[in-house]
Amino acid sequence: MSLPIAELVPQHIRAFEAYVPSRPDPELMRVYKVDHLHRLNNNENALGPPPAARRVIDAFEPPRSAIYPSGDSFFLRTALGERFGMDPERFLVGNGSCEVIASVIKAFCEKGDNIITADKTFAVYEWVAEFSGFQAKLIALKNYAFDPEAMLAAMDSRTKILFVCNPNNPTGTWWDRETMERFLRAVDGRAIVVLDEAYREYVDDERFPDGMELMERHKNVVVFRTFSKMYALAGLRVGYVCGNKEVVDYIRRTHIVYSVNGLGQTAAVAALSDDVEHIAATRRMVDRARELLLPAFRELDLPYVSGAGNFVMVQTPASDSLIYRQLMRRGVMVRTMTGFRFPNWVRISLVQEPVMLDFLAAFREVIGQVRADGDADVQA
Amino acid sequence: MHQDNRLTLELPPDVAFLPAAVGAAENAAQVFGLDQGGALKLALAVEEFFAYLCRFAGREEPLRMTLSQGGTFVRVAFRFRAGDVSLRALNFAANVTLDEGSDGACAQSDELGLLVAARTTDRCSLESSGSGVYVLLAEVDRSYPEGEPLRTRQALTPPISVPQTEGGPASGLLQHAALLAAGRYPARACPNSFFRPARFADMVASGQYQALVAQDGAGRPAGLICWRSSGPRAVVFSGPYQFDDGPDKALGQEIARQLTDRFLSLVARTEVLCAFSERPTADVPQGWFERLGSLTLRGEEAHAPESQPALFRHLREDVGGAVWAHPDLVDFLTRQYDRLAFSRDILKTEPTPSARLAQHSLLATALDRRRGLALLRPLLDGQDFAANLSAHVAALLGQTMEDGGAPDILLHMDLSEPWQGALYPALQANGFTPRLILPHAGASDILVCQYVAAHS
Repeated sequence: MSLPIAELVPQHIRAFEAYVPSRPDPELMRVYKVDHLHRLNNNENALGPPPAARRVIDAFEPPRSAIYPSGDSFFLRTALGERFGMDPERFLVGNGSCEVIASVIKAFCEKGDNIITADKTFAVYEWVAEFSGFQAKLIALKNYAFDPEAMLAAMDSRTKILFVCNPNNPTGTWWDRETMERFLRAVDGRAIVVLDEAYREYVDDERFPDGMELMERHKNVVVFRTFSKMYALAGLRVGYVCGNKEVVDYIRRTHIVYSVNGLGQTAAVAALSDDVEHIAATRRMVDRARELLLPAFRELDLPYVSGAGNFVMVQTPASDSLIYRQLMRRGVMVRTMTGFRFPNWVRISLVQEPVMLDFLAAFREVIGQVRADGDADVQA
Repeated sequence: MHQDNRLTLELPPDVAFLPAAVGAAENAAQVFGLDQGGALKLALAVEEFFAYLCRFAGREEPLRMTLSQGGTFVRVAFRFRAGDVSLRALNFAANVTLDEGSDGACAQSDELGLLVAARTTDRCSLESSGSGVYVLLAEVDRSYPEGEPLRTRQALTPPISVPQTEGGPASGLLQHAALLAAGRYPARACPNSFFRPARFADMVASGQYQALVAQDGAGRPAGLICWRSSGPRAVVFSGPYQFDDGPDKALGQEIARQLTDRFLSLVARTEVLCAFSERPTADVPQGWFERLGSLTLRGEEAHAPESQPALFRHLREDVGGAVWAHPDLVDFLTRQYDRLAFSRDILKTEPTPSARLAQHSLLATALDRRRGLALLRPLLDGQDFAANLSAHVAALLGQTMEDGGAPDILLHMDLSEPWQGALYPALQANGFTPRLILPHAGASDILVCQYVAAHS
C-alpha cells in the first residue's frame, strides 16, 4: 500500500489553510436565491476603469490572445518610470500584489528567518510567510493602527522584512510622514521595509508619506502598488513593486515572468495616462458614500472605523457570518471580518449612492431582525 | 518506519507473525507511557485484531499496523482490505452466541476475539480509507488521578490578560484552571478531563485540545477556554469559564470576552470553517454565536431534564452546499436551514435496497459517563441497521450509568453521505427525532437526532 499523501507534505503546509475564494456571482445568486448582487466585499472601484483604459479593453482584438505578452511588462514599466521619474528597471510587475509579496519574501527569507507585520491587516503577508515556512511575527494594532514601537521591539537578528500596510486594510489608518520617517530611521537598514500602498490614491492629505520619495533616502524601502483598487483593473490582475535598483535586482531573481497578461499591461499603461479626473470622481463617490453610511451607523448605535480607502468597517450585534448570510439573502455581499481577526465586524466597500441606499435598507432590516431575534442571543 | 511517537509495521496476513505484532504492541505501549495494565490491554487487542484480520481480511496486500502515542492514550491502527471481514462485533450492543454456528462469511465464534478486543480497549472505531480499504482503530488511555474541584471563592483584580506563550499555557496553570472550572460550573458544562487535570494538561500538550488561560493583574488564573477538532473543518469549544466571584460582574464578562476574542483570532486563519459548542457556559458573550437549537438532556437520573443550547459561529462566508436527506427529513431541514439563513441544496436519497447491503451494520458509540450521554455514529450500513440501532438503545438504557448506560442518547448523521441521509426512517422507528444541525461539523453538515421515547 502506498504512503498516505499527507506523509509526503511538509508540516508547515499541512497546518496551513488553503485560501478559498468566493464563488462566482451567478453561483452565489443561485445559492442565495437572489436576482441581483451588490458586490461590497472586495473594495472594487464601482466606477470602473478610466476612459482610456476602457478604450484599450474595448479595442482588444481576439487574435492577440494567441500572442505571449511582454514577459517583464516592458511598456508598463517604462510608463511607470516616466510617471515617477525613475529607471524602469526599478519596477517589477506582477499578477496582482499577492505575487509580488511572494517574490519579496522568497528573495530575502531563508530557514529560521521571520517577517513582522500587524495581526489585523491584509492577510497575505502572514499567509505567504507561513506557507513558505517562515515565522510571521504579528503585532497587535494600537488604536486600530500599526504600532511602530512594538514592531521595532519585535525585531531580532532573523527579521528580514517588515510589512506596513499604509493605509491599513481594513481599518484605513495610516502613518504620517513624521511617524514613517522615525520608524525608518529606527530600522536603520537592518531589514527590508515593505510599504503596501494599495489604497494610497484614496488619500488626499499632504501629511501622507510618499513611498516613492522615501526609498530615495532609505535604500531598504520597497513599495507595493496596484491597479486593482483605484484604477479598477482588478479583473486583469496587475500590481507592481518599486525599490532601490539593487533590492529590485534581487527580487527579480525570484519573480515569475510572463504572469501578467497583455491586455492587463496595455490597460494599465492607458489608465496611468488618464487618471486625473478618474481619481477625482472616485474620491467624490467615496466621500458621498461615507456621508450616507456613517450617520446611519451612528443612528443604529453601531461602532465603526472609517479611515482612508474606499471602505468602512462596522461592528455588528451578532456574528459577522450571520450578518453576511442575511445580507446575501437580500442581494448584498459584504466582507466578514473574523478572518481579519475582527470578530463581529463587517467591511463595506464605498460605491455609488443608489447601491449604498440599497445596502442601508437591507442592513437596517437585518440589524433590526437580529436585535429582535432571540436566536442571535445566547441568553435567550 | 519510525517517527518519535509512531511505529509502523507491514505484516503479511499470516498468524505466524502474531508474536511480532503483539511484541511490538507491548513494547510500544510501554515506550509511549501506558502502565503495565494498559500495555496488556493493548497487546490483547492487537492479538485479537491481528488474528481475526489474518483470517478474513483481503490477502492481496500486507496488513499495516501503526502504533502511535496520542498524548493521553496509545492507539493501534490496522489498515486492511475488506475481504470477508464482518465487523459487527465492534458494535457496543454486540454479543456472540458461541453455539450458533456459521453466520455469514465468518462464524460468530470467530467474532468473539473482536468482541473481547473492543471491550478491552477504551475506544474502537472504523474509518473508510478509499474503496474497500478500512482502518480499524483502537485506543487505550493512560491512567490519571482524579483531582478535587476547587470551590474557594475569589475576587480577581484587573487588568485581565490572555498571555500567549510558545507551546501554550504551562501544565501547572492548565491543571489549576481546570480544577477552578470544575468547581464552579456544572459537570455537564465541563470536559471529563477537567476532573483529571493532569490528563487535561497532557491533552493540551499533545494537541488533542488547545486552550487559553486568562490571568488577572496578580497573575492568578482568571478564566479558561479550550477547543478540539471535530472533523476536518470544525472545532468544538468548551467554555468560556471565568473565575471571578467579586461584586463587579463586568470583570467576569471581560474575562469571557477576551478569551472568546483570542480563541476566534487563533482559529480564524486556520483551515477551520466554524466553531460550535454543545455545552456552552452562561458566560459566552452575547451576540457572538448563533443558537442552532437545543437538546433536552436528563443527565443523572435524579435531575430534571434541562435544555442545553448548541451554539455555532461560522468563521467564513458561507458559499452554500449540498446535503443528502430522506424525503421524510426534507421539511425539517428546510425549516432549519431557512431559520439559520444557510443555503443548501437538499438532495433526496432513499434507503439502499436490502439485497445490495452487507448483512451487518456498525455503529460507533462514545460514552460520557459523567454526563450520562451516549453518542452514536453510523459507520457501516447493513441489512440489520434498524435492529442494531434498537439493540444499542436497549443496551444503553438497560444499564445503570455506572455500568456504562446513558439516559441521554444522541445520534450524529453525516449529511454528506447519501446512505446516512437515507437512514432516517430507521431512526424514526427507533424513537429518534431530529433536533438540530451542526453546519460543517463532519464532511458536511451533521444532523443531531435525539432519542426521545423515554422522555415522552
